[in-house]
Amino acid sequence: MATVSLRGLSKRYAGSDLLAVDSVDLEIAHGEFMVLLGPSGCGKSTTLRMIAGLESISGGDLLIDERRVNDVPAKERDIAMVFQSYALYPHMTVFDNLAFGLRRREVSAKEIARRVNEVAGTLGLSDLLKRKPHALSGGQRQRVALGRAIVRDPKVFLFDEPLSNLDAALRVGMRGELIKLHHRLGVTMIYVTHDQVEAMTMGDRICIMNGGKVVQIGAPLDVYREPVDTFVASFLGSPPANLLPAHFNGAALAVGETKLPVARRQAPNDVIFAIRPEDIRIEAPDPHAHGEVLAVEPLGAETIVRLRLAGIASDVLVRGPRTISARAGDRAPIAFDLSAAHLFDPVTTRRIPHSI
Amino acid sequence: MISKGVLFVVVVLYTAFAAGPFLWVATMALRTTSEITLDHYAWPTTLHWEKFPQAWFNSNYHVYFENSVLVVVAAVAVLTVVGAMAAHCFARYRFRINRLLYFVIFSAIIFPPQITIIALFQTLVQYGLYNSLIGLTLVYIAVQLPLTVYVLESFFARIPADLFDAARIDGYPEWQIFWKVSLPIALPAIATTVILNTILLWNEFLYAVVLITDEAKRTLPLGIQRFMGDQLEDVGMIATGLIIAIIPVVLIYAFFSEKLIQGMTAGAVK
Repeated sequence: MATVSLRGLSKRYAGSDLLAVDSVDLEIAHGEFMVLLGPSGCGKSTTLRMIAGLESISGGDLLIDERRVNDVPAKERDIAMVFQSYALYPHMTVFDNLAFGLRRREVSAKEIARRVNEVAGTLGLSDLLKRKPHALSGGQRQRVALGRAIVRDPKVFLFDEPLSNLDAALRVGMRGELIKLHHRLGVTMIYVTHDQVEAMTMGDRICIMNGGKVVQIGAPLDVYREPVDTFVASFLGSPPANLLPAHFNGAALAVGETKLPVARRQAPNDVIFAIRPEDIRIEAPDPHAHGEVLAVEPLGAETIVRLRLAGIASDVLVRGPRTISARAGDRAPIAFDLSAAHLFDPVTTRRIPHSI
Repeated sequence: MISKGVLFVVVVLYTAFAAGPFLWVATMALRTTSEITLDHYAWPTTLHWEKFPQAWFNSNYHVYFENSVLVVVAAVAVLTVVGAMAAHCFARYRFRINRLLYFVIFSAIIFPPQITIIALFQTLVQYGLYNSLIGLTLVYIAVQLPLTVYVLESFFARIPADLFDAARIDGYPEWQIFWKVSLPIALPAIATTVILNTILLWNEFLYAVVLITDEAKRTLPLGIQRFMGDQLEDVGMIATGLIIAIIPVVLIYAFFSEKLIQGMTAGAVK
């Protein structure tokens, strides 16, 4: 187990003026499962590769267990990494793939066999040890990649989108196994993904990145409920939060032609009104407004309804129960749960605290 | 069905085209020159197997053969190791003049040997390497290195970078990553260059004829040329010599051919 500290960590690639990673500050505790989440190109993988020692660090400090490791080569950082492509050595058997890292560390052959067999047993790979990677399914390869990390018993596990190449059903299964693995080993894990479901379900905390910068760090539900800016509000959640232009008009907040009973506190006149699809009730008995139903998407457990509100150009998405009866073309009454809504500053895109 | 039939006919025709001359030389290897002069295409009536020991011992073929083996084995060994290392670096490491260097090495391919041979001759004379097997070996290495690097680089470049990263995290230094990861994975491509270089250098004539004059230092192609006089060609002995010369190439090919096919079709079938 180990702590990992990123203090003003930056990366600038040679020949580029832009910072791929822009002074990232992040403290990861002993045994924590930290997820780095963001769209592609946001610098999350580069950050992970700097922690791994695969990328040089342009600025700031990286500490593992309070020791500065900026210039310590990857092999001496006592970390293991699972790659998106699995990166199994194609010319070696599963056994040799698992044993490769131990052989370098001059572990005795007997001890290597014991540890490899033990890890293979827990991952259900015992029958596959003599096979080569090309004779394995995607899920099995994934397990070998995981085993290669576990067998080394490292201080820190790094994952670079490890589930992206699996099909949907396997992904859900592996997600559960990774969570169990984390509980069993209790080691520090840093997990990079662009999949918000993985981030929400697996992380003790999520670090959301955009444009090389950290946007928000927090427990999954905190980040989900209290996004610091419009980027987080629209990036987390599927479908994302509705971001609607609004302005204060007397004692009410006008969202299009809809007047909402929101008192203006420290907010500017023009704001962005943000509300998640599940915080809008459709077919409500005491509606704030009526919306024209554009489309109804029944998902089985729930129904996504796309509405148009008078005076608003963008559509409003509502997550309703499966029982709703509205059809495309209907006018449906809707009510906003204002306690869950937020206001954002349209200029800075930051959330305006205590504004509702 | 029709396409299979057509394919069969094409294969038969191609085999006849490729193997016909070979068989013809093989039959001539067992006939004497006077028999051949009487009828060029006749089957051997008496099999003159004694021509092989004759060529080997009396006509100095054992010396030529030994010289060829020495030069080709040394050149191919160095080519393979140095070529693979260079290719690994070009494919793997980002450094400032990577592409420039690669271009300079590769551009050497475009010059036909006739252009450089006089300068090469003078250089070797100056360094005291003229008329020596070491000199010839060095020239062979220099001549074949660009193509070797080119073939291997394109293969090495297709090895996913994640594998190297994984090996680095597994604790291996760059040097060992080359030996334990790059090289074994690139084996099909390496087999391809081994065969290519062996065949090319085994048959190489131009550099050898310019750079070697000593009877005792001749390679096989030069040895065979010795039987082509101004007045008389010992066709029978030439054929015997050719067959002796071909045997190692066939063996090498048989040994590496499976890898060669893998190398040529790599990436074609996922």
